[in-house]
Amino acid sequence: MTALDPDDLSGDERTAVEHLLYRLADDELVLAERYTEWQVTAPTLESDLALANIAQDELGHARLWYDLLQDLGYSESELIYERDPGEFRHATLAEVPFEEGDWADAVVRGYLYDVAENCRLEALENSAHPRIANRVSKVRGEEEYHREHARNWLERLAGDEDGRRRLQTALDRLFPHALTLFEPTDETVEDDIVGMGIRRRGLDDLREEWLATVEPFLESVGLRLPMDPDDPADRLPDAVGRDRSHTDDWFDLHDEMTHTYRELGRTETTRIMDKPTDE
Amino acid sequence: MDVDEVNERAGPREFGPHDDLPREYREAATRMIQFHANSEIMGAYLEKPFIRQAPSLDRKLALSAKVQDEIGHGQLLYRAAESLGVKTRDEMLTELAEGEGKFLNCFHYEMDEWWETPMIAFFVDGAAMRRQATLKRTSWEPYAHAMDKICFEEGFHVKHGEDIMKELATGSKKEREKLQEAFDEWWPRIIQFFGPTDDQSTHHDFAADVGLKTMTNDDLRNAFIDAYVPKAKKYGLEIPDEPRIRERDDGTYEVVEDDLDWSEFFAIAKNDYDPGKEQIGGRRRAQEAVEWVREALDDHETRTRGREPQAAD
Repeated sequence: MTALDPDDLSGDERTAVEHLLYRLADDELVLAERYTEWQVTAPTLESDLALANIAQDELGHARLWYDLLQDLGYSESELIYERDPGEFRHATLAEVPFEEGDWADAVVRGYLYDVAENCRLEALENSAHPRIANRVSKVRGEEEYHREHARNWLERLAGDEDGRRRLQTALDRLFPHALTLFEPTDETVEDDIVGMGIRRRGLDDLREEWLATVEPFLESVGLRLPMDPDDPADRLPDAVGRDRSHTDDWFDLHDEMTHTYRELGRTETTRIMDKPTDE
Repeated sequence: MDVDEVNERAGPREFGPHDDLPREYREAATRMIQFHANSEIMGAYLEKPFIRQAPSLDRKLALSAKVQDEIGHGQLLYRAAESLGVKTRDEMLTELAEGEGKFLNCFHYEMDEWWETPMIAFFVDGAAMRRQATLKRTSWEPYAHAMDKICFEEGFHVKHGEDIMKELATGSKKEREKLQEAFDEWWPRIIQFFGPTDDQSTHHDFAADVGLKTMTNDDLRNAFIDAYVPKAKKYGLEIPDEPRIRERDDGTYEVVEDDLDWSEFFAIAKNDYDPGKEQIGGRRRAQEAVEWVREALDDHETRTRGREPQAAD
């Protein structure tokens, strides 16, 4: 199979592929949207440029995943601008707002997300759907830089007493939201995602792998995870995102994102770049 | 080197950090480059909200990249200014935060809606491009060098600005009306970008004599009007009745000064215009909120100096 041709997918398979793509695309879009809040207001000109790079990488990835959904018959308008915000599937880690000046949040959030991103991309490298697998390597190359960026910042800030305290506060607040990255959109569909080989590993597996990376590293810089080691999932927040439950902040964010589109009565979105390829 | 020698030698990219230049030159160049760098930062501040409000994913990416480019230009320009040895980058950024740093008149106004973005991204950037192109021949080599990269990237920005404008100009009736409204509001400010016609700039003569400036504001304004009035008309925009612009026999233009609000312009030049003050204050608060990060970085650097190589960012 060379394309995600809807005719080649059984009903359940199509649903599973769509759920998986929404997880990926919505995470990248919404997190990037939050990252761009730091443009012009990051601590230094250098960190401003670096985080803008990361935001644009994530937007580019969102574009890759939404593009596969477009091949299944949806338009960008339907996927983003006219979609009910209550239908989005991103983890709440992506949507919670930054407090002004809370660079520790940006650093911790980036780290928790980028490690999780790496785990899940690895599990997609051998996806039964070649078009998903093909795009993974493109994304992974950039994510390596993101993790390095986050680790570097964690080390630098954690070496300072005030910095470490702020990092810990951010970690305490964000950790429950990070756990939502590993929640299913729907139990049955999730079983299909793994059963049909669309993603080669289950979410519990991915979370364990993620924890096995983030816990020792965070400890090495003097931070501790706010969780019960026997039951890491017991700290889930009220809204988990994946199942379409969201915080109020997401609805505000979606409203701002779609403001111009609605105000001008647009019915379609403008493409100025070429459609992504699988190469 | 004394001022006379500087005047004599002045030419494109003539002077660099190894030259022993008089204080007058170094201060004049610092003033000019600092103004330019500040303008990059405050322009980015004004455009930032439209990353979020962009009506498509591609537009969002392009806007984010543009805002990033402007910050990158600021970084390059502060470095070019710093190399004159008059002020450090931190000092210049502090001056900007405290309302002492000056920047382009157009970036003191509020920009609320997407359909205003071509006013900056096409007209103001287009106007800035004309000025910047002449600065590739400025006498301070690090400034000219920064201009090579900046002009290259600005070319893309203006193209994107034009593309947004074209989309609005060929869009629905509402889009065309909104674009015209934005143009009516911004046009006088854009004309004022080049300052008063009789050039009351006290800094010009010296800056021209020592080769920092290579074209007068009048010449730049003429070239801009010549190129951009036809462009505006091409996109169906009506040129507002005021300021009146008359073509002289020699093909240059006369702008009727009384049609423009010069008290507002000079208030802006002193950072004493309310919307601009809001923008300066907004940026200052954002900078203060991350002061703790800069302090933590300084601590980190002190602790680890000589022990490990520092990452670039």
